[in-house]
This record gives sequence, C-alpha cells and structure tokens, in this order.
Amino acid sequence: MNQIIADFVVEMDHATNEWLPESNLMEVFSAELWRLKRIIAGMGLSASDGDDVLQDVSIRALKQCRGGSRTALLSREDDVKWLIKVTVNRCLMEHRRRRTFRRHVSEILKRRLETKKASKPAVENVIVAEELEIVRENLQKLDDSLLAPMVLRYFCDLNSKEVGEILALSPSAVRSRLREARMILAKRLLERGVEP
Amino acid sequence: MEESCKDIEQMLVDYADGQLSPSDSSKVGEHLTKCEECRKVLDTLQKSLELAGVIWADGLAETASIRIPAAKTRKIRWPQYAAIAASILVLATASVVWHTVVRPKESKLTFAEIERKITESGSAARLLAAAELLSENPEAETIVKQQYQYIVETYPKTAAAAEAKLRIK
Repeated sequence: MNQIIADFVVEMDHATNEWLPESNLMEVFSAELWRLKRIIAGMGLSASDGDDVLQDVSIRALKQCRGGSRTALLSREDDVKWLIKVTVNRCLMEHRRRRTFRRHVSEILKRRLETKKASKPAVENVIVAEELEIVRENLQKLDDSLLAPMVLRYFCDLNSKEVGEILALSPSAVRSRLREARMILAKRLLERGVEP
Repeated sequence: MEESCKDIEQMLVDYADGQLSPSDSSKVGEHLTKCEECRKVLDTLQKSLELAGVIWADGLAETASIRIPAAKTRKIRWPQYAAIAASILVLATASVVWHTVVRPKESKLTFAEIERKITESGSAARLLAAAELLSENPEAETIVKQQYQYIVETYPKTAAAAEAKLRIK
C-alpha cells in the first residue's frame, strides 16, 4: 500500500505540480519510520497497536499532503517534528487506554538471552529480572506527561528543546518532568532494596 | 542523608545528564565525594535508566516487525483489487484498440497516441485500485473522494474515470 500511496503522490506531483508541499510528508514518513517505531516501542505499545498507530499517522500525513493544509515553506525538519508529535499523541491515547508494558520480564530476558549468546549465571538473571520488573511496573504507572518526555529524550535521543517543541513545553518544563520521572523510577528501585 | 542532600538531589538528574552549569556541577561533584547516600541515588538513577532502556529496546524488537500497514494489509483482498485493476486495464486497452484498428475512419490515431492512451488508462486504473484500497479506512474518506475526482479530471476518457464517477455518486 505504501508503494501505491507513494506512486499516487508522485503521480499527483507530475500531473499537477501544485498539490504537494516542497517537502513531501509521505517521503519523510517513510524515511523516519525507524524513529516513529522507536517512540511506539518506548511507549510500550504492542506490535499490533503500533501497527494501528502508524497506519493512522500515515493517513494523517497523506491527508496533510492532499489537503494542502501544510504550507510549502515548511522544512523537512518541521515535517519530522509534525510526524513525531502526531505519533506521540496517538501513542499516548493508546497508552492511556491500555496501560501497556504488559510483556512479562521473563519473556524480555528470554529474548535478550537468545540474542546475546553469552548467558549470565542464573542467580544474576533472577536479580536482573526482579529489577526489570520493578522498572517495568513503574514505567507502566508513570503518568503520560512524564513518560513521553522520558521516551523522547532518552530513547529517541532528542534534546530538551526538541522534546519541548514536540510536546508544546518549554525546555525547563521538559527538564523538570525528566527529573521527576527519573527520580520516581530510582526511588522505587531503592525502596525495593535494589542495590545500584 | 544530610540536610543539603535534598538540594543536591534536585540537581542529580541534570548532573547525570550533563545539564548543570560548571559551578553547580562542581558543587554536586564535591558533595558526592562525601555523601554515600547521594552517590547511591545517582547510581540508581543510572541503573533505572539502563533497565528502562532494556524494556524499550524489547518493545523496539517487537515493533521492528511492523510493515506499514501490515495489519490492514492482511485484511485487504489484494487479488481482488489486482483483478479490478487488470479488468479495467484490459477493457480500456480493448476500447483503444477497437477505436483505432476496427474504426480507423472515425479516428486516425498515431501509435504514439495509442501508447499514450494505454498509459493513461493504466495510470487511471492503478490510481483507482489505490483509491479502493484507501477506502477500506473510514478516516480516508475525504482523500478517497479527492482521488476519484482527480482520476475523473485527469483521465476523463478512461474506463477508470467512468468507474470513479460512479463511486463519487
């Protein structure tokens, strides 16, 4: 379908030369898919929920292209930010609804051990499993307003200013939320007796 | 924990992220050399981020398998759309050939024109198939209508345009 949409957009471009903004949002969408998937993963959505999110984002992007509501003066960087913003909002909707990160830690560890051939001793794995479970639980409980900045800053490698632009927050508000989120996770680990 | 630890704690995340001014950074650094509790908090901050990274990376391994839009694609009856597109293309080609070969007196087309018409018919059919595909999603209704309109306006003499007119109605 992607190919068809891409062909269609190219067709429009050749035929009318006026329907598309200079920076083709659908092209940017395809190029930035890896980043959008990272956000979805960070928000804890499953593959099927992530699939729905990306589908919605692609349709919204297509509407933006076709509807002409995006000005041709917008840069590729603006397009990327727009796509991230739409993806984050859509993920937050899903996250609120489903309270994700449901995967059991045993599954996570199993997968990690499968990908990393050198396995750790069993006792060490039990400890890691417990610690992972605490963090997983608390990521799940973390308020949306704290989770989104965490994911964008630490998992998508955006700086506070970029995160702020995407979430409509000032950089200082982003830093404040990051402080709060990280302290919550660290304090919960300490409360449960986890040694650093 | 000492009284000043509360102030230091406020700065630990920024310290770990390298976001503090040099003076604040050295203040925190100095405190950390003396205070084991704050060092423990700092190490736990780092550890919790690493563990969160493991959970996020696990999610990424799962989402990496997404092929856009995989779930909907499974529901789409591709052979059906391919058949529609192929039928329209065959009809359009037959129509063009009939007009040019069987009825040469009415329309003296050059091979270039025939080729152009066939290409147009093919493009229109392909766009029509794409519109059918998009119409699976209720949110794409407006786009689909615009797409039909585009086919009608751009390739008015094709079978796909006739089909698109019907769809608009």
